[in-house]
Amino acid sequence: MNKSDIKLIVSSLLIILIILGIRFIFRNKNNKVAIVYYENKIVSKIDLSINNEYTVDGYNGKVYMEVKDNKIRVKEEVSPKHICSYQGFISETYETIVCLPNKIIIKIEANEELDTVVR
Amino acid sequence: MKKYIIIVIVILLLMVLYAVIFKNNKLDKYEKNLFYMDTYINITIYNESKEKANAALDKIDSIYKNYHDLTNRYEENELINVYYINNNNDNKEYLDIDSKLYNLLEYGINWYQKSNNLLNINMGNIIDVWKKYRDLGNGIPTSEEINNAAINDINKIILKDGKIKNNHPNIDLGAIAKGYATEEAGKYLESIGIDKYIINAGGNVKVGNHYAADKYKIGIENPEDPSKIYMVIKGNNISVVTSGGYQRFYEYNGKRYSHIIDPNTLYPGNYMKSVTVITKDSSLGDALSTTLFLMSIQDGMEYIKQFDDVAAIWYTNDNEIIKSKGISKYE
Repeated sequence: MNKSDIKLIVSSLLIILIILGIRFIFRNKNNKVAIVYYENKIVSKIDLSINNEYTVDGYNGKVYMEVKDNKIRVKEEVSPKHICSYQGFISETYETIVCLPNKIIIKIEANEELDTVVR
Repeated sequence: MKKYIIIVIVILLLMVLYAVIFKNNKLDKYEKNLFYMDTYINITIYNESKEKANAALDKIDSIYKNYHDLTNRYEENELINVYYINNNNDNKEYLDIDSKLYNLLEYGINWYQKSNNLLNINMGNIIDVWKKYRDLGNGIPTSEEINNAAINDINKIILKDGKIKNNHPNIDLGAIAKGYATEEAGKYLESIGIDKYIINAGGNVKVGNHYAADKYKIGIENPEDPSKIYMVIKGNNISVVTSGGYQRFYEYNGKRYSHIIDPNTLYPGNYMKSVTVITKDSSLGDALSTTLFLMSIQDGMEYIKQFDDVAAIWYTNDNEIIKSKGISKYE
């Protein structure tokens, strides 16, 4: 091994370290995502950092959702009591919106602190 | 040429190093959502094998479905279920029933005495009367409605050798069926070697061992506000069951009416806003949480002393939190 070999090794080490460092920084970025299920199928994953409106198909018809300031709510749906629209915005990983008549569940995922919640 | 070989070797070594350092010994997570017994049930399994996990999730689906069908008292199905038992009146003296339903009924009847006559599985009519108003979210039943529905003699349910007497009982297993099914689901997972799991059946949570040699953190929802957690329970191989949570009560004329009806007063229990019980066994937890909901907090504190490994947390009507002695090891 001569000097230039060592240089090569050191520089490739550095490059890898930088890559690891970047990965580490981005790993800790805590973007919350709302997972929308129809029965057991994931029908949509919604990034809560972008304010927008979304639609999925529920059992009784369209389910309209709104994302605002890292929170999500069901804005409009077809059901007898509108329990899930009345629930309003959710933003925490332990919160869930359940639209039983529409077979839609909205859960929040992130770097979870709690494993589960008893209601 | 030599240089390139060295570069390649160095990169390979670093990749190995990276794999060793960042290899999260985390198991894969498999989930399934179920809707049974009027509840959203979430099953989470941590396992290496996708096939095994998915097969187990399907089996758990069938366990809950079976209990849902057997304990269903609003619809007929191919089984001799609670609806059938409550509504049919053929001339047979005894009905042959599925052993699972038989055992669950026996469990429920035994709990009548154990609960100081507070947990009564023969009060379907009175539960329906209150349910009608709770669904409306308005008004309360008249005393006439209540008295007409007050058929709740536990001795009406007569079990014998795998059979039940065909005499129009008034069975409602809502207070125990979910916990009972959840316990069976957890036991099933353990029996096939899946010890890392979370079963969340709304008010009934059961967890196994932790997926990363830590403890599960189980939040208890504030009965006043479902977006808030008022306490976190840390532990493995436990069941956490709450009675009286949010969305299970309604308010009328400024008064809170819960979904748990006292078989003695025929009115909803109102000693507290909610009670949460920590046990090893989920069926015990479910039966206990209903029982504790129907007695004063002081009585409940005394009452649970007869059980090993049982701890409870009460959320009082004044929004205070009262903990039994055993809670400290889960904090």
